[in-house]
Amino acid sequence: MTGVRAALALYPPSWRARYGDEVLALVEDSGGGPAAVASLVWRALPAWFWPQRHLHDRPARMRASLGTALMSWSMLAGLGLVFAQLTQLQALAPPGHPQIRWAYAVFDLTLAASALIAGLGGLLLWLLMLRRARREQRIRDTVYLFLPVIAPAAYLAGLIVTVRLAGSVSGVSQGWFSVITLAGFAAAATAAAGPGLALRRLQPRGPALRLAATAAGVSAAVMAVATVAIVVAVTSLNLWARQFPGYHDGTLSGIYLALVVTAATVTTVSAARGTRAALVQP
Amino acid sequence: MTDRLDRWADPPLLVLASLADEPKHGYAITQDVAETMGVRLSAGTLYAVIARLEARGLIEPLESDDRRRPYRITMAGAEALAQQSERMSKVASVARERLSTRLGWAGA
Repeated sequence: MTGVRAALALYPPSWRARYGDEVLALVEDSGGGPAAVASLVWRALPAWFWPQRHLHDRPARMRASLGTALMSWSMLAGLGLVFAQLTQLQALAPPGHPQIRWAYAVFDLTLAASALIAGLGGLLLWLLMLRRARREQRIRDTVYLFLPVIAPAAYLAGLIVTVRLAGSVSGVSQGWFSVITLAGFAAAATAAAGPGLALRRLQPRGPALRLAATAAGVSAAVMAVATVAIVVAVTSLNLWARQFPGYHDGTLSGIYLALVVTAATVTTVSAARGTRAALVQP
Repeated sequence: MTDRLDRWADPPLLVLASLADEPKHGYAITQDVAETMGVRLSAGTLYAVIARLEARGLIEPLESDDRRRPYRITMAGAEALAQQSERMSKVASVARERLSTRLGWAGA
């Protein structure tokens, strides 16, 4: 039965929840074997591509999409801020290539707009979940909901202390910069994980959830524009600004861009699935 | 009784036909289809078909405390099965007639 369970793990959660036990009972009765496992594996992929509507739990879809999109958005924003730190704030803008400055401006504007849209769209849902967590005295959920405030605040406090202790007139060393950057990603992941966990535990539904899922879709679309700006700026710097440190070799930039595009793809796909669940009538 | 065209059998039709007389659970459907229609339905195929038929309202699950949940055909499913059976009867009739004319085949 291990093989059958492994094959069932390839199916969408909603399919597995609905038919998983029945399939196991069937395989128990019929003797199963490699043929049963092979047939289940073969049919798993179409179950993802053509999800059954009667299994579609829209609120669950929206909650799952919001959790994933929030995490990937945070990683993307973190990568974007590394881009801003390494290029924009150091004024890397060779003359004759105005698209780089344009890309910086577009990135700043779209990152701020995306954060604002996501924040405003999710505020009502956050407040409702917080009210319920406090009313039912769910301390762990209350802490989860406050993580988007606690984690960045702790990170900023740690950053100030680190810069004062380890910094000099020219800034911090490359080693400390790496530590600060990695700590920033950890803080962003923690901040994003909090509401994601609260969504799973409190299982909210209703108009506030739909509003948040819709706002996540708009926010992700705006963030996609920020991603294009990052790609344009970093590619341009590699092509025409090799005199700047870090841009004479395309390997690092290539890895960075691959991470950016991956995070943007996950954000866009996940947010789009949540928005579709929020807007499409059953 | 399986033959070379077995793999092109229409599993949704087989499942609907199996459920036409009484509700059955997954294993009972595979047994019935194998015994009466000569086609072996694998677990993956059977539940892909059940999910599709249920989504289209052609079959419906019955309440069950057991993991072996029975399914029954709906009115829409019965109508779809009747239409398809009629079509297949015509195809069978034409096939028999032409085989008889060309090869002198008299049928089973």
